[in-house]
Amino acid sequence: MLTDSTRTQDGNQRALIDVIDVKKSYVTNLVTTPVLHGVNFSMQRGEFVAIMGQSGSGKSTLMNILGCLDTPSGGDYLLDGKQVSALSRAQLAVLRNKTIGFVFQSFNLLKRMTIQDNVALPLIYAGVSRAEARRRASQQLENVGLGEYGQRQPNQLSGGQQQRVAIARALVADPPLVLADEPTGNLDTKTSVEIMSLLTRLNREAKQSIILVTHEPDIAAYASRLVRLKDGLVLYDGPAATGLQQMRSEQSEQELGMPANEVSE
Amino acid sequence: MKFGHIFAEAFRAMLANPLRTMLTMLGIIIGIASVVLMLAIGDGIKKFIDKQLAVLGSNLILVQSDTRKSPGARARTGTTQTLTIDDAEAINRLSSVAGAVPVLNTFSQIAYGNTNANAQVQGTTSATFVIRNLRLGAGIGLSEVDVTSASRVAVLGKKIAEELFYKNDPIGQSIRIDNQSFQVIGVLDNEGQSFDMGDVGQIVLVPISTARVSLVRMQTPRSVAYIVAQSKTAEGVNEMVRDIEEVLRDRHRIRADDPDDFRVVNFGEIAKQGEAIGKGLAFALGFIGAVSLVVGGIGIMNIMLVSVTERTREIGIRMAIGARPSDVLWQFLIEAIAICLVSGIVGIAISMGLAAAVNATGMFELTVGVRAILIATLFSGFIGVFFGFYPARRASKLQPVECLRYE
Ligand SMILES: Nc1ncnc2c1ncn2[C@@H]1O[C@H](COP(=O)(O)OP(=O)(O)OP(=O)(O)O)[C@@H](O)[C@H]1O
Ligand SMILES: [Mg+2]
Repeated sequence: MLTDSTRTQDGNQRALIDVIDVKKSYVTNLVTTPVLHGVNFSMQRGEFVAIMGQSGSGKSTLMNILGCLDTPSGGDYLLDGKQVSALSRAQLAVLRNKTIGFVFQSFNLLKRMTIQDNVALPLIYAGVSRAEARRRASQQLENVGLGEYGQRQPNQLSGGQQQRVAIARALVADPPLVLADEPTGNLDTKTSVEIMSLLTRLNREAKQSIILVTHEPDIAAYASRLVRLKDGLVLYDGPAATGLQQMRSEQSEQELGMPANEVSE
Repeated sequence: MKFGHIFAEAFRAMLANPLRTMLTMLGIIIGIASVVLMLAIGDGIKKFIDKQLAVLGSNLILVQSDTRKSPGARARTGTTQTLTIDDAEAINRLSSVAGAVPVLNTFSQIAYGNTNANAQVQGTTSATFVIRNLRLGAGIGLSEVDVTSASRVAVLGKKIAEELFYKNDPIGQSIRIDNQSFQVIGVLDNEGQSFDMGDVGQIVLVPISTARVSLVRMQTPRSVAYIVAQSKTAEGVNEMVRDIEEVLRDRHRIRADDPDDFRVVNFGEIAKQGEAIGKGLAFALGFIGAVSLVVGGIGIMNIMLVSVTERTREIGIRMAIGARPSDVLWQFLIEAIAICLVSGIVGIAISMGLAAAVNATGMFELTVGVRAILIATLFSGFIGVFFGFYPARRASKLQPVECLRYE
């Protein structure tokens, strides 16, 4: 998937994602609610980024824009060097199909369809023949450790297994970017660890670029970089370890009743 | 995305909710069955009439006496004029007439050995074979000599000959009609129904003179029940009717301002009326069909709209993983088309079943032709496209984010 030009190191490398002063507001009943106030953020290939922030801080809103499912109200979003706002709905669909794999909190597998066909679907939309799509789907299911479950229906699988199927589906078309919005939000701790180990392995071994949204510091700790959002702005962007350390100290300060230093930030 | 794949998904979606799909299909099934039956009845009636015209001969009219309307004429002349053999001969001599035959009918018991049957016996003349297109399967027909000499000879319809003689040769055998002996000289080859002979296979033809002497007792010796005449050409029928009216009024001495004491029945007109009735029936079926197709189509549109709403999340997921708006449009459109096509096939099957049931009664022949099947299939596909397009378009216009948020 990686071309030579993108593999070159340092500054002249083309970023996978470039978010420049992106704004987003929702309009409901003539009331405009600004959610993102100008987010700046860029990401290289092979990075594993965790996005954190309080509920309502705009994480999902940002993820929807990054996933080309929604359009920003202002600013620029470049995915793989392409200006996304210039594309038609059909072109966006093709871009999502080729460039992005989605993993959702609620798994979002299609009912009444076998696991194998679920995983094969992105390839079907890409115009790959059914036999070839099924072959590659089976391969991908092996990869996530579910090789024997291909002929089952989604509701015959546990939550953790369904999420692994969703990851297989996200990876099947070999996209440069995987977006996961709270992928462990519906799972218990043990299963969450399994899912995170799988994502980490993908990032380490296949240099898979991943953006992950989570509320849990333990989950964010699997990532190498952390982006914290607060009220529609980037509060922290840097190494995950440092960022998480900072969060912990903020929290203990709050628990000890010390004056919060958020205001100064 | 390939069409085969979309069709497979459409059938899967239909089977996901079988009862609902079946109820949705009902309107289209009824509509298509009605349309196919309409076409079959239309064809059947046309065939039926063509066959009848072929049996009874074309360009025929029938003259009956009709004294109900002319009491004045009767009072003035002092006689009850009925049609006679001489009238028939006078008509036969008209230049516009190809042939005219007098007819006497009776329903009699026919016996051969121990076998009995009841049949219509028609006394007539040799010209009947020509003007009615009667063909002989065996033997000979009635001749002029038979009529003038009142011979006791009979020509049998095909079915009654079989009934009486089974596989034996009837020619030359002696049968009894109302206990009087007749010799069989011929057997007809024709089949089908005739306007005044009923089933041609069941008719017994005898010379009219013999019938009058031995089988039918009339008050006036030369009277006949009616006269059948054939015009030389199809266009000449109306002219012939005028000629016949003129000659009969003259012969019956009817004054200029008095009404006719006879009535002319034009079979071409009756056939046209039959055709009109058939067309009316076909039109009624067509109307029922059209109404149920529209209602069924609206039902499909409604169910497709429900389905789009129910599957909003599915649409969101599909769009997220790469379905273009056109892929979503095709998916729902083809689902609607598939529902309609399956309904169409079921409707065709039902109409074929009904046609077979009607054919089994033997009274009327209904054939569901290739043309009807093609029209029905195209029509159901068209309904799928017409009523499926709006819901499909609506699905394709949905925004992926909103769909994914939908519970
Ligand atoms: N479709 C919408 N219409 C109007 N307001 C919206 C819509 N979607 C989100 N919002 C608002 O935007 C803000 C950010 O929502 P978002 O879903 O991005 O938060 P989040 O950070 O993902 O929160 P959570 O951690 O609870 O998932 C919220 O205040 C929400 O009410
Ligand atoms: Mg969220």
